[in-house]
Amino acid sequence: MPHQCTTCGRTFPDGSKEMLSGCPDCGGNKFQFKPASETTDEQPSPGGSQSSSADRRPATDSRPAAGDDDATAADDASTPDSQQPESRSPDAGSRTPDAESRTSDAESRTPDDQVADANRSDSEHVRERTEEDVAQASARSDVVSPDELDRASRDVETDSPATEPGPDTPTDTEGPRPDIDDLRDELNEQFESIRIVSPGKYELNLMELYDRQEYIISLQEDGRYVIEMPDAWGISDE
Amino acid sequence: MGLLTNLKDSISRVTDGLFAADEPKRIGIYGPPNAGKTTLANRIARDWTGDAVGPESHIPHETRRARRKENVEIERNGRKVTIDIVDTPGVTTKVDYKEFLDHDMDKDDAVRRSREATEGVAEAMHWLREDVDGVIYVLDSTTDPFTQVNTMLIGIIESQDLPALILANKTDLPGSDVQQIANAFPQHETIPLSALEGDNMDEVYTKIAEYFG
Repeated sequence: MPHQCTTCGRTFPDGSKEMLSGCPDCGGNKFQFKPASETTDEQPSPGGSQSSSADRRPATDSRPAAGDDDATAADDASTPDSQQPESRSPDAGSRTPDAESRTSDAESRTPDDQVADANRSDSEHVRERTEEDVAQASARSDVVSPDELDRASRDVETDSPATEPGPDTPTDTEGPRPDIDDLRDELNEQFESIRIVSPGKYELNLMELYDRQEYIISLQEDGRYVIEMPDAWGISDE
Repeated sequence: MGLLTNLKDSISRVTDGLFAADEPKRIGIYGPPNAGKTTLANRIARDWTGDAVGPESHIPHETRRARRKENVEIERNGRKVTIDIVDTPGVTTKVDYKEFLDHDMDKDDAVRRSREATEGVAEAMHWLREDVDGVIYVLDSTTDPFTQVNTMLIGIIESQDLPALILANKTDLPGSDVQQIANAFPQHETIPLSALEGDNMDEVYTKIAEYFG
């Protein structure tokens, strides 16, 4: 009986679809997973490894844990279909080949993993090939503390700027450049009345400037415009 | 019937006169950079109000925001004309900070001036579309008037049916060629002047009263 409703105790066979919309008896939506056999797979359980790594990561946001995280990332990537939430599968697929970004990859996933773990502990455990271990038991039964949530959210805030440009650290200083160029190109397409050739060099289409209803009040250094919208368009319109 | 029509015309004339007295015509001073627009605006403002409109400079794009001098009352041949003068930034199709580097300006300042000049052109075009009742178009008579900017602006002014006075400025300079400007825009009257020296300003004021009164 791999699945057991935590409310009424009803059990379901492995792979049962009965419980997908809640326990038919009591309507409960929390189920306990009890693997049919205790024989382990060739790799540690995903839930276990993820929750343990999640516990570990907030404290180790630097290199020493990279090896472990690598393993975790590899695990994640190796079984994306069965273990990853659907939205993460493409991510994992695209990130895995990027060998240099493993550390930041693992770090940037931390909040995801924690959320995923929380989901696992709160909702059904329908994972196959999952083995019961201490970490999983802890993840399932323990309630995440507000501190952890706070820390996780701070990790997101502080990690993301650091990890995003991480893979191309050598070009970090000129990282914003392509963005500004892109922005400039984009604006040039939108506002062909003023073409920004390069910083300090402009080409103006006088007829367009004359024909436009909106009035370009100022040009920002990063290539953005401030325009005054005609009153008739209304302030509330975005 | 005839009596009624006459009465209607009379009322119309009176109301037109009232509106004309209440709302001065807004006259935009337009032209390419360094044509002497601000020098002319200052000359007119000083002559009739005692104030200046803005700083003049030989560096192009000194005027990067439209400046307005309101209620300039010009009296000509017993006739009074009240106008608001709008000194606009020089209109051009290209702004390059490098042209400012020759004027003792470092790169940052030149780039900033370039950006502000571009904003100024946008503002000038906006004013032309929305806010002027007539145009004084100032040209440097020492330079070739057959340019894209001049042709385009004069075309826009004509398409708007705005009264326009073309001034051939800088007649005090040796290379001045007023006739070249007259030839470029034969459909308009061209008035020569030197705003800097105050040459021929009498005729300019007469024409302003005539065109915009």
